[in-house]
Parts: sequence; C-alpha cells; structure tokens
Amino acid sequence: MYKLMPVLLAVTVLSGCTTTEIDEFRQGTTSLNVGESIVILGRRQNNNYETEGDFVECVANVVGGGKDGITVVPEQEFLDAMFPFFEPRTAPMRTTHLKQLMEIDQAKERLAQYGIEYIVWLDGLTQRSQQAGTISCTIGPGGGGCFGFGTWQDDSNFEAEVWDLDTLESVGSISTDAVGQSYMPALVVPIPLIARVEANACSGLGNQLKQFIAGKD
Amino acid sequence: MLAGCSATTIVVDGSYPSPLVRKLPLTIGVYYPEELRNFAYTEIDDNSGKDQYIVQSGTSQLELFNTVLPALFENVVMLDSLENANSENGIDAVFVPEIAEFQLGLPQKTKLKVYEIWMKYNMKLSKANGDYIADWVMTAYGKSPQENLQSVDSGVQGAAVVAMRDLAASLTLGFTTVPEVNDWLKANNYVTE
Repeated sequence: MYKLMPVLLAVTVLSGCTTTEIDEFRQGTTSLNVGESIVILGRRQNNNYETEGDFVECVANVVGGGKDGITVVPEQEFLDAMFPFFEPRTAPMRTTHLKQLMEIDQAKERLAQYGIEYIVWLDGLTQRSQQAGTISCTIGPGGGGCFGFGTWQDDSNFEAEVWDLDTLESVGSISTDAVGQSYMPALVVPIPLIARVEANACSGLGNQLKQFIAGKD
Repeated sequence: MLAGCSATTIVVDGSYPSPLVRKLPLTIGVYYPEELRNFAYTEIDDNSGKDQYIVQSGTSQLELFNTVLPALFENVVMLDSLENANSENGIDAVFVPEIAEFQLGLPQKTKLKVYEIWMKYNMKLSKANGDYIADWVMTAYGKSPQENLQSVDSGVQGAAVVAMRDLAASLTLGFTTVPEVNDWLKANNYVTE
C-alpha cells in the first residue's frame, strides 16, 4: 500500500489540475417557498453548438441534491408539458417574450401547476484545444505495448440566466469558466490523467445557483 | 462480407407530446398521401455511389400528425381517399400534408459535430368538395450533437425527433397565421383575429 502512495498521489495531483472561475451578477432578490420549484433548460437555438443535455442534467442534480436541495422539474418533462412553447425555435429568448407567453392562458396555467418560480437558462459548451503529442502502440507475438505522450486542454464556458416568473424579469446570471489540462503518458500501458473540467464547471455552477436562488449570497 | 455492402436502415421512432393550445372549432378531414405514409430517404455514399443509409420516417410522421391535429382541431376525421371527403358529414375542411424534401447532414460528411435533418412540406387545405382554401410551405430543422461512441442510428434518431417537434411547433403556432387560412377562418367566423 505504501509503495502505491506516490503513484496515487501523482495521479490525484495531475488529474486535478483544473481551475474554475465563477462570476455572479444579481439584479433582483430571490427566494423559494415550500412547494415551489425551478426548471433548468439548455439553450439550443445556436447554429454552431447546443448546450448538452447531460450538462443540464448534471447541474439540475447538483441544485436538487443535498440537504438544502431545491425541487427541479426535469428538463424533458417540462419541455413536453409546455410543448410547443419551449422548442429551439419557439423558446422565449428575452423576458419580453416571456411576458407574451404568459398572456397565453394555457401556458400560464401549466407553469402554475408545476409551481415553477424560476426558469434557469443554461448556455455554453466545452471546447478542446492545444492537442499535442503522439502515442504509438504495437502488438506482436511476444506481447504489445504503447509508448508516447499526449496532452490536451479542455475549456468549459457556461452561463446561467435566472428568470423570475413573478416579476417576469431577469434576476441575475452566473457564469463559470473551467480550464484544465489532461495528460496521457504511455509507458507500455497508457495512463490517462484526465482533468474533470466539465464536472467541475457543473458542480461549481450548480452549487452557486442553489445559493443564488435560495437568496443566501 | 455481404452485410458490409448493404445500406443501413434507420427507422425513426419517436413519441410526441400533445400541444398545449386551444382547439379550433373545426371538423377537419385528414388525408395522408401514400408518399408520406411510406416515406424513406436514401443517403448515398459519396465514395462508392451506393446506398449508405435508408431513413424510414413515414410511420413516425403519421404519429406526429395524429398527435398534433386532434389537439389543434375540435374533430378530426381520417380519410382513406380525397373522394370520400364530400360524403363525410360535417367536414369543414380537408388537410393534406405532403413531404417535398428531406435532407440529412452526417458529421462524417459535413465535418460538423452534429447530426442534422431538414424537411420541407407542402401543406394543403381545401373544402370538403375539393375547392381550394390554402396551400403553403413549411420547413422543419433538427440537430443532435455527436457524442463519443454514439451510433449513426442514435444520432439520426435524435435529429429526426427534434425536426419533427419543430414541425409540430410551427404547425400548431402558425396554422392560423397563414394568410389564406386566416382569411377563411375569419370569413367563416371560426376566429375573430
């Protein structure tokens, strides 16, 4: 066990080289009463990318988890229940569009049924860059192995904008920027040392969002 | 070896939610042309010139219209042929959706990290006796991000379902705003604006 300690320590240190920066901008008060809920939706109107459903689900799990968890309506359930008002081409882009939507009785009633107090729009993506190095693998009658070194950088940029369904205004936004370098040395066996960039962005953004909505910051 | 040369068939399979809208007080006859019922798009391999993927979406498109139309209109009557429309009692109008174009964007061809589907429809609305009311074009678009270890089937399915939902959203929210449809609805006091 003691012989393994330096290896485990090295893996922990190298795989943990991610920096996460979170910025918050508040322009209104927030609080959530018993029975009230929120929904977290990914923006999908952009031509070049769309906010990944897995990331939206991850943030929803963080916000809804723990002793101080908030009730979060699952994204797909909400999109189906509110169909066709939150599809990529029909979703409100600004709070003025939200006001127009709330003039439709069916939409207003359905939102009230779910007890939704805040809509959180998540927008962003993770990009990979600075890929370098090569790894070559060979296999023969006597066995096989890999040799080389690979590295790359992941950069996760996400922004969460919070809309208040009482005031029909934006009450603030939280942005996160997580950057991490991953390494893949290969000495016979490749040893992936992956920076958990998106996971860190998710937990950082989720926890900050939970505090923001509860009005604890 | 033989299996490697044949085209892969992808059957679009999706379920669609009922739209949250107020029903129009109309009895609509609906006729699905044979081309729509059995619609299949064939993607050709650029290198070999042979069929690469066959996307069968006819059944799924019918399921979509069968979900949307009863939510949009008070009564929906399915028609076996357009000739039957006049003999059915109380039909206010006959709706015929026709698919005109279907395009598929695969990541390996577009070099984008998304599967894309684009569809174009000709929608026709006529009176029970066949007289013209409206004829308009609708387009639908859906994309699905390419993921690690994801099959082409799964990517195409994802894009197709998004495109179908896009079509349903446009039809639901846009039906009464088609100028000729709107004129006819107002002339018959089905809507006031």
